[in-house]
Amino acid sequence: MAGETKRVMRRKASDNLYLHKDFHGALSCGIDYLDVHFGREAVVRYLHRFARSYYAPLIQEIGERGLPALKEHFERIYSLEGGEIVLETSEENLTLRVAACPAVSHMRRKGYRVARLFKETTDTVNRALCEGTGVRAELVFYDDRTGRSVQRFTRESLR
Amino acid sequence: MIPCTDFIPAYSELFKILEELGGPQAVEAFWRTLSDEFLGNLRDCVERRGLEGCWEYWSRTLNEEAADFTMSLDLDEGVFRIDMHCCPSKKRLLDCPQIEPYPEYCRHCDLLYRHLLEPLGYSYTIDLSQCHEAKCRITVKTVNEA
Repeated sequence: MAGETKRVMRRKASDNLYLHKDFHGALSCGIDYLDVHFGREAVVRYLHRFARSYYAPLIQEIGERGLPALKEHFERIYSLEGGEIVLETSEENLTLRVAACPAVSHMRRKGYRVARLFKETTDTVNRALCEGTGVRAELVFYDDRTGRSVQRFTRESLR
Repeated sequence: MIPCTDFIPAYSELFKILEELGGPQAVEAFWRTLSDEFLGNLRDCVERRGLEGCWEYWSRTLNEEAADFTMSLDLDEGVFRIDMHCCPSKKRLLDCPQIEPYPEYCRHCDLLYRHLLEPLGYSYTIDLSQCHEAKCRITVKTVNEA
C-alpha cells in the first residue's frame, strides 16, 4: 500500500474483536486528573458510582448466587485480557490471585503513566460490586508497580 | 480491574462527575489534558508521516475498537476522512440501559483531535449531526500555506 496516493479501508464491526487495550491508559489518565484536581475522595466516589450503576446486573447476580457469580465474572474478564490468575474457592471464600494486572502490564509496556490511585479500579470497584450482596470484598495485597494482587471475598453471614 | 471492554461507560461517567465537580469547563480541561498526555502515539504518527500518519493511527485503533467505518486517504488532495457508520463507543452507551450517556459525550472526539492536529498544520472538522445514531464524519485536511 505504501506509495499509493489514494486508499480506502472499509470494515464492519463483525470483522474484528472488540479489544482496545489502550483504553486502560485513558482511564488511568482520567483517574489521575480527578486525583490531582479534586482529590482521592472524588476518585473513590467516581469509581464507586460507575461500578454500582454499570455493573448493576452483575451485582444483582452476586446477591442471588453469591461467590459463583463473582468467580465467573473474574474468569471472564481476566481471560479476555489475557491475565494469569488463580482462583481458590470454598463455600465461605473466594480468593483471587492475580500474577500481574493486565491493565497495568499493558500501560507499562506502552509507556502510559499508571495513576497513583489506579489500584482503586480493583479495590473500590470490588467493594462496590459486593455492597449489599452479603459478600465482603477485601484487597489483601496489591503491588502498585505490576498490579499483582490478592483479592479475597467472604460470605458475610459466615464471618 | 475494569476490563478495557467496559471502559466506554466508565469514560462517560467520568465526564459526568467532572462536570458535577467543576462544571463543563472541567470536562473540556480534562479532554485537553487527555489529548496532550494520551494521544502521543497519534502525534508521533502525524509528525513522522503527515496525513499517512492519520491512516496509520486510525487503522489500528478503529480495528481494535471493532468499528463499522470507511476510512479514506487522498494524498493528492491532502484529505483524510473517516465515515463512521456505527461508532462502537456511542453504540455501547446507547445499548446500555443502566447508564445514561453524558449528553455531550461525542464532543470529546472534536476537542481531543482538533487540539492535537490544528497546531501541527491540519484542519480538523467533525460532523456530529447524526451522533445520536452513532454516526459521524471526521475530515482532516492539509492546510495550504499562503
